[in-house]
Amino acid sequence: MGTISIISVEHSDRLFWLGRYTERFFTTLKALEKLYDSVIDKDQYGYREYLSAFGLSDVYNDYKEFFKSFIFDRSNESSAAYSLSRAYDNGIVLREEISTEALSFIQLALDDLDRAQNSNQGLRLALHPIEDTIFGFWGCVDDHVCDNETRYIIHCGKIIERLDIYLRLKYPFEIIDAEFGRLCRCLSGIPKNSPYHYNQKQLSSLVEIMGLKDGYTEQKDLAVSSLEALFEPTGRS
Amino acid sequence: MENISFPSANVKEINELLRRYGVKFGIYKNGEFKEQLFPFDTIPRVISADSFSYLEKGLIQRVDALNMFLYDIYHEKKIIADKIIPEEFVYISSGYLPQCEGITPPKKIYSHISGIDLVEGKDGEWYILEDNLRIPSGASYPLIARELTRTASPDCFSQSGIVDNRNYAELLRSAMDSVNCGGINAILTPGRYNAAYFEHSYLAELTGAALVQNNELFVEDNMLFQKTYTGGKTRIGALYRRISDEYLDPLTFNPCSVIGVPNLTEAYRAGNVAVINALGNGVADDKGIYYFVPKMIKYYLNEEPILKNAPTYLPFYEEDRKYVLENLEKLVIKDVAEAGGYGVVFGSDLTAEKLADFRQTIINEPRRFIAQEVIDFKDLPIIENGEQVMRKADLRAFVLSGEKTRVWASGLTRFSRNPDSFVVNSSQGGGFKDTWVLSR
Repeated sequence: MGTISIISVEHSDRLFWLGRYTERFFTTLKALEKLYDSVIDKDQYGYREYLSAFGLSDVYNDYKEFFKSFIFDRSNESSAAYSLSRAYDNGIVLREEISTEALSFIQLALDDLDRAQNSNQGLRLALHPIEDTIFGFWGCVDDHVCDNETRYIIHCGKIIERLDIYLRLKYPFEIIDAEFGRLCRCLSGIPKNSPYHYNQKQLSSLVEIMGLKDGYTEQKDLAVSSLEALFEPTGRS
Repeated sequence: MENISFPSANVKEINELLRRYGVKFGIYKNGEFKEQLFPFDTIPRVISADSFSYLEKGLIQRVDALNMFLYDIYHEKKIIADKIIPEEFVYISSGYLPQCEGITPPKKIYSHISGIDLVEGKDGEWYILEDNLRIPSGASYPLIARELTRTASPDCFSQSGIVDNRNYAELLRSAMDSVNCGGINAILTPGRYNAAYFEHSYLAELTGAALVQNNELFVEDNMLFQKTYTGGKTRIGALYRRISDEYLDPLTFNPCSVIGVPNLTEAYRAGNVAVINALGNGVADDKGIYYFVPKMIKYYLNEEPILKNAPTYLPFYEEDRKYVLENLEKLVIKDVAEAGGYGVVFGSDLTAEKLADFRQTIINEPRRFIAQEVIDFKDLPIIENGEQVMRKADLRAFVLSGEKTRVWASGLTRFSRNPDSFVVNSSQGGGFKDTWVLSR
């Protein structure tokens, strides 16, 4: 008596968004690091393409100001720091699902991000331990969570977020296709009568776009909106 | 105790771990919610095996008597009929809930988790300051602090013979299981922005109970259920609620409550769910009733009280009132309706004019206050800015009642960070220590 293996509506929502925000933080950080590597000696305004991929305009004086805001500024809703704070907000109400140990990795990443901002090290070097910490978080979650449905929901959030960013940034098709395969496996593990059962119409639209292979970039906006609407109830099968 | 070494060299590491593991409490300042670390001092309070054995007997005796009192008050009221406690002290108490009349909780246990506040006088005598039988909080702090201190300073534990306190979750779970009416155990929290949210979620994790909020609960056929995300329902057999009585069921108590569960009282009355701690316990931990606890022990158990109350006066009684009015400047006065260190006034802090005003208030509202002699309790060492200084500290002992009544071999030691203050509450800036009970 006493041990739980049920998921409440509130927790399913939190699990999904914990997955999304943690991944948004991580993938944003990785994308920005790659971008940073190119702006230092190639195109100092290369960050404008990144902004445009997310429908944002350039209000920054230079790339340094852009990176400072997009990595560390918690008041910038598109920043990595903002996403990590939201991941913490979702994680803190899931302590008994994901464990104190897993939650501690998010706190550790928040603290390390603050330290990295004031570090004398190169930006990418200063951010390395934070990426390790996020790997630690996922390892800890996978190690602790035994319930498959819980695991599928959090991973659905994670992969949808990853796909969203990859699609917007026009990553190579092979990478996108591999993530799409992962998403389909997760979706099949979520019960039909749950809020995270997929909308067949949106999934079919995604399958069709994936069939275009490298040509997916022509339909990337449609793919992003299908992803966003994947759990909308209208037309749910 | 001279061979015990303290983890004072690892203050920084331990506090970093506390931060990492989110050992925080929430506080509202100027209408804004802020989370802050609960200041931890690494020098523990140490209690010898003999002292603990004495405390254990006294605490079990006290809590057993309080549980018998609660059953009596909501049923036959023999203690009133036998004139041990004047009825006005019971019925005027805001903690007395007429809605609970005749309800018998599973196994007649009302206070499953009791937080008894004590201080150790300079004479070595322990005094009970307060009984907390509603939703006493704080056990999670020494629990996680011990785990982290053992991580940072293992050597301190290798030779000292300190009783492991990490069985609290087992005790709590066993208390919940013992009264479970069928279904899962759940901890009901008001939510993320409650001051004690860390504790709610940590105890849920450790006990395997579901952490729930009211919007996912409902009562059907006089049974309590949690909604699942697939549209199903799971029955709850024991609900460790961390919400006050008045907000627990808007159909029975405060109709404006938005954090309660409609009809929960009916499910409880029908015996289909154990509410932990039971509804209506406030009548027994009322500051006015405190005065009568030693009398309860004699009445119900026919035993002499093992632990002493702090010398207490009730202005309600003429003789006591006379003493209080004549000695107000050396007494501490407590408003029985307040908690958390609020409503506590030291006569020595008042000007002559304020003393006169206060005397008049006591004359006008004698039932509202109790007065106590100021106990010169032992200061404990803490580390502040790298130096050891002495501060006032109390001890909250946790007593868990299930199949048996058991005292957790640890407790929350709270200390004042202000050198001139006796107030140790976290809501007023106090810190905490672990409490080490020695095995020999």
